[in-house]
Amino acid sequence: MPTPLSRWLWHGFAVALLAALGIGLYVASKRIDYTWRWERIPQYLISTEGEDQTAPFDGFVVVSDDGKLSMTALRGSETHQFTGFSAIVAGNGDLVFEGDVIAKTDAIGPGPLLVGLWLTLKISALSLVFALLLGLVVGLGRVSKNPAARDLSAFYVEVIRGTPLLVQIFIVYFFIGTVLQLSAFAAGVVALAVFTGAYVAEIVRAGIEAVPKGQTEAAQSVGLSGFQIMRYVILPQATRRVLPPLAGQSINLIKDSSLVSVMALTDLTKAGREVVSSTFSPFEVWFVVALMYLLLTGVLSVAVRRLEKSYAVQG
Amino acid sequence: MNDGVLIEARGIEKRYPNGVLGLKRASLSVKAGEVVVIVGPSGSGKSTLLRTFNGLEAITGGEIVVDGHVLHQRSADLRSLRQRVGMVFQQFNLFPHLTVLENLSLAPIKVLKLTAAAAEERARALLKKVGLSEKHDCYPAQLSGGQQQRVAIARALAMQPAVILFDEPTSALDPEMVGEVLEVMKQLAVEGMTMCVVTHEMGFARAVADRVIFMDAGEILCEDAPEAFFGAPKHERLQTFLRQVL
Repeated sequence: MPTPLSRWLWHGFAVALLAALGIGLYVASKRIDYTWRWERIPQYLISTEGEDQTAPFDGFVVVSDDGKLSMTALRGSETHQFTGFSAIVAGNGDLVFEGDVIAKTDAIGPGPLLVGLWLTLKISALSLVFALLLGLVVGLGRVSKNPAARDLSAFYVEVIRGTPLLVQIFIVYFFIGTVLQLSAFAAGVVALAVFTGAYVAEIVRAGIEAVPKGQTEAAQSVGLSGFQIMRYVILPQATRRVLPPLAGQSINLIKDSSLVSVMALTDLTKAGREVVSSTFSPFEVWFVVALMYLLLTGVLSVAVRRLEKSYAVQG
Repeated sequence: MNDGVLIEARGIEKRYPNGVLGLKRASLSVKAGEVVVIVGPSGSGKSTLLRTFNGLEAITGGEIVVDGHVLHQRSADLRSLRQRVGMVFQQFNLFPHLTVLENLSLAPIKVLKLTAAAAEERARALLKKVGLSEKHDCYPAQLSGGQQQRVAIARALAMQPAVILFDEPTSALDPEMVGEVLEVMKQLAVEGMTMCVVTHEMGFARAVADRVIFMDAGEILCEDAPEAFFGAPKHERLQTFLRQVL
């Protein structure tokens, strides 16, 4: 065991190394003549740009003296009153056509990156729920006494683990999605859940097999049925064992969800790509995107550690 | 149950998939209220024999009748049999995720369909019997080995079995805890519980057993009342064994 002082020295050493790495990165970016424009990023997180109010028909703009905005139709006698705007774009008496921007509402809302983050969160959470259910069923199939259940679950696990997720996403999106008329979101959930489910199944199987044989024998000896043994004796013990690997797999799922950006889904990664193309600041954007993923996975691992602690009492 | 015979094993044989014979035509009968102790060197098939009595070990030949349930090569309904046959293991095998009270009441609630209150009442009475009244809310990991084994005995008793099988109940215990477990077992014997005990505790066999069985290499070589078994061993192999352990 290092002494407290030397321990802090080593921590300091690690921090110094990381700082050196950061400085190196900065110097390197100087060399390639990159202009950092961090000030461009916040507007893509929080959007202050309100919605546009557009002309509902062709006509003339009427701005009254007390600031009221309305329109009269070019043909006919139709009028339209605008409300809730913060800035008027058109001038009094302008001839405008249907769809032209007349005014803007001033609203603070989530920018594209936050919208992307929300989609990533939604698709990950939903996929995780299905993956856990699927993984539990298949994992039980793996340890089942029934040869058919064993064969089918082994087949599923091998096929899914043996093919790349990106290829699976393409198959689900283009083939299954087309056949079953799935939306891009549904296809994304299916692909991620099926993929992660295979890994969860293996974790569940390992967790069940790690429970000592004596537990099953003791449960059999008091006359519990096979289902009761699984439900009340094996699974509760397996749950504690699988929690850490399951947390790792859930974190993988969040990261893997970035691959759904190849479908027409604007998740965090796709949003990042769009922001890059409108800001030309790829370094800043990708750093921010990485940080946002890190935030999601960090929250998850803290939550799981809490859960593990609550189980620890039983030793 | 004819003339009080609870376990009747006739020529049972256990052949492992690799061809090795674990039990060779073993026959044994245990009457209600009897305490039968099985001794023998390691690997002699004592535990295997015991475990065939509640179907934990499948047999490949012969027949066992336990409390009216017939067990043979392909026995299906082991559940109703197991409700009548309690088992205490060398490694205790308590359920680590359940409290002591939950360990005792799980099967009575799920199998015997007792109400939670009735099962708890039964569990508390049994904990008092094994001297662990105040440990009901502990988890097994918080108990000593001896205490865990006493809980395990109480768990077997909670199903009110006709017979309890003890598979080397004190072999995994530190020496100072052996006594407390044997004490509980003696008390059960006095109360008339039918017991089959595999053990290395010759003192227990001598003091408590009605009959002692000697096994070697998968065979029952001899059986006798304890006085004769230890005092005047007939079988040559038994004499060697007793010289080594006593």
